[in-house]
Amino acid sequence: MDYNIALIGNPNVGKTSVYNKITHSFEHVGNWTGVTVEAVSKEILFEHRRITVCDLPGLYSLTVYSPEEGVSRDAVCAGKQQAIIDVCDVNDLSRNLYLTLQLLEAGAPVVLTLNMMDELSRRGQIVNYRKLEAALGLPVVPMATKYHAEVHMLLSVTVDYIEHRRHKRAELPYLKKLPLEQVKTIIEKNAEKAGVDLLYAAIKVLENDTFILEKLALSDEQKAGIAALGEGLQDKLAAARYAYIDKIMDGVIMSSVADEHHEMHEHSVHDVPLTASERDEAEKRGDEDEIKHIRLHGKIKKNEDLKRRGFSGLDRLFLNKYLALPLFFVIMLAIFLVTFGDYMPGYWMKTGLEWIFDNALHDPVQKGLTSIGAWNWVTGLVTDGIIDGLGGVLVFLPQIVLMFLFLALLEDSGYISRVAFMTDGLFRKIGLSGRSVFTMLMGFGCSATAVLTSRGMEDEKMRKKTVMLTPFMSCSARFPVYSAICAAYFSGGKAFVIFGMYILGAAVALAYAAILNKIKKFKSGEMSFIMEMPPYRIPTLTRVFQILWHNAKAFIIRVGTVVFAINIIVWLLSSFGVGTVDGNTVFGYCGDHAEIKSFLEYFASAIAPLFAPLGFGAGEHGWQAVTALISGLAAKEVVLSSIESFGGAEVVFGTDGCAALAFVVFTLLYVPCIATLAAIRKEAGWKWMLGGAALQLATAYVISLVFYWMGVLFTYNVGAAVSIIIVLVVAAIVAAVIAHAVRTRNMCIGCPGAKNCGGSCGRKKK
Amino acid sequence: MTLMHAESDRIYRIVSVSGDGDRHRRLLDMGFTPGSEVYVAGYAPFGGTVLVSLRGFSVALRENAADLINVECADGL
Repeated sequence: MDYNIALIGNPNVGKTSVYNKITHSFEHVGNWTGVTVEAVSKEILFEHRRITVCDLPGLYSLTVYSPEEGVSRDAVCAGKQQAIIDVCDVNDLSRNLYLTLQLLEAGAPVVLTLNMMDELSRRGQIVNYRKLEAALGLPVVPMATKYHAEVHMLLSVTVDYIEHRRHKRAELPYLKKLPLEQVKTIIEKNAEKAGVDLLYAAIKVLENDTFILEKLALSDEQKAGIAALGEGLQDKLAAARYAYIDKIMDGVIMSSVADEHHEMHEHSVHDVPLTASERDEAEKRGDEDEIKHIRLHGKIKKNEDLKRRGFSGLDRLFLNKYLALPLFFVIMLAIFLVTFGDYMPGYWMKTGLEWIFDNALHDPVQKGLTSIGAWNWVTGLVTDGIIDGLGGVLVFLPQIVLMFLFLALLEDSGYISRVAFMTDGLFRKIGLSGRSVFTMLMGFGCSATAVLTSRGMEDEKMRKKTVMLTPFMSCSARFPVYSAICAAYFSGGKAFVIFGMYILGAAVALAYAAILNKIKKFKSGEMSFIMEMPPYRIPTLTRVFQILWHNAKAFIIRVGTVVFAINIIVWLLSSFGVGTVDGNTVFGYCGDHAEIKSFLEYFASAIAPLFAPLGFGAGEHGWQAVTALISGLAAKEVVLSSIESFGGAEVVFGTDGCAALAFVVFTLLYVPCIATLAAIRKEAGWKWMLGGAALQLATAYVISLVFYWMGVLFTYNVGAAVSIIIVLVVAAIVAAVIAHAVRTRNMCIGCPGAKNCGGSCGRKKK
Repeated sequence: MTLMHAESDRIYRIVSVSGDGDRHRRLLDMGFTPGSEVYVAGYAPFGGTVLVSLRGFSVALRENAADLINVECADGL
């Protein structure tokens, strides 16, 4: 028996969680809208039946707004599925049912599942799903994804529905209020020709759905006929659907008896709150206790009421006008400190690993190999090339995993969407949206995966810009480079320099966004106007372990494959070469004769002069720094492992701290790894990838140059350096003040509509 | 009055949704139907975006959408 079933539903209702549970997959899930961007399917065996389960991107309505939503709509319309599981968030049922009604209108075989029942019960509410079953004429399965038995139940019901209940089209009484019969007669022939369901087509014609209208190809006469049916039918249809939902929802979700009992108990002690007239009397009498009592009751009532409306009290804090941004910075700083700060959890784990690599691996192996008389170069390969190279990267595993964990927690808790909301206004001024903030923050984890999260952004240009600029955000692979080099040169200000690198990367990305938005060719189009705020959720322990495990695994695999291979190639190229020994040109291992120059040295020496102005390209070890950068294209971790295999930062940069700083800046800004480039090409195309790479290379060069010479100036003439900085800062402030004055000349004070208001808010002009 | 010019921490009733095309329909689909009540939770620190709650969920609207929604005050608290 072969069946096809699909999972459909509003965004962020947990479709992918259900899918993962059913198919034992690990598709990415998150507490925000639009995590799933394409249809994913997998075949499973369930009670001797072969079932293909398909996970679809979320959507609000079968009339779609984005290509991802189109994927879902097409899947429903194609009708290949024997059953469609409509996943609803039971805590937000009325909006979820709106899609359910549309599925029923289209005549789809729907099995409804009420997900997140655990959250509902935690609030002391129950759901009478039988009522929904009766009203909509379809099977309803309440469940929570975390219980395996309930997911099993869902599959069981679905299979039973396919095999035993012949699908009957649901009666939807609200459709009678609309002039559908007239529309049907007008479009009957076209619908038959186009092969779409007549009732569905008629409804979509009322909604002015371009997709269906194109399919039907109506003549002007027919269009006029439909227009004659009246205005505002779209509004009427939406209102009728919601009215019907309110009707069938009546008495479906209730407070449980325990909760009611509690309320009764409270009132029997406190007495019921007074009415307005009674309060007036109390005030007249001056009865303070009574007035206080009323105020208290009013307050509790109001908070309860707002919760019912969907407002979370936490937003009062996290989205507070004055506290929101400081809180955001404090949270980000705390994450950085815990992960990267000295004497913090991340630090201890790293130090422990370092000790193991040095004392338990490197030294014994070297001793062992030397004592049995292994060839020199083999000993070098194993100890310097493999153990030091890989060890130098692997010690960062705990910190990188911690970083991913924190990012995932921000994502899962729902906080990241609030960040998008509060930074939206600022980001829109530079042609990005709060949605880009998310992608860019993910860039702190891994550029390649962050680039993929840009999907689902509405405006194409904005999306491509975000994709191109995200690599400027300092990914976790770059961090080891800063950390190791800063430890050698800026021991006191190490954390400061590292945090500075993160800020610098972000600042460069934002500055470019602002500049690009001034150029007409790259200006963003009009932005989508709705951002969903997912509810605050506490991530589960299982989920935390999943994140830790998956990221650790991915990192280790990467180090074991790409980094390992490149490391050996780089080591071989940098350890073997040709040179003149005793008048003869010989090929051999560099460690055997000081005169032999490695192949890599020849090549890197040739281009090192290009980097001489940046400090690190000059001198006898210049080629090593350049080599590290070139091999870093494969993966940024390799930058450090190459430096380690040359003998560490102190060897490569000597005593020149400014060159080390310039190198760190260059590492931050230059072309990202091949994996990221491939992701950019996939998301934005060749042109954006090459353009972006060129931009990054140029930026890295110029900014490193500035850093190097400012550093040199600081070392030799502090007065001049400080003077230059003061002049620049003053000039920037003056320019900003003038620009602000020009821009806000005609704005009203404190107007939320800002520039576009035009005085309609009635607030005072400046 | 449109939602963009409403006051924070108050409840409003939707009178009508103006405009047409995709944006108009999307607002309707999200539940911004005439007669329903919305709670204005607040505005973004840099302006231009308003956070509202309706029908049990929260959503942020930019001014180009909030300006389409005509509301009247419905404080029953």
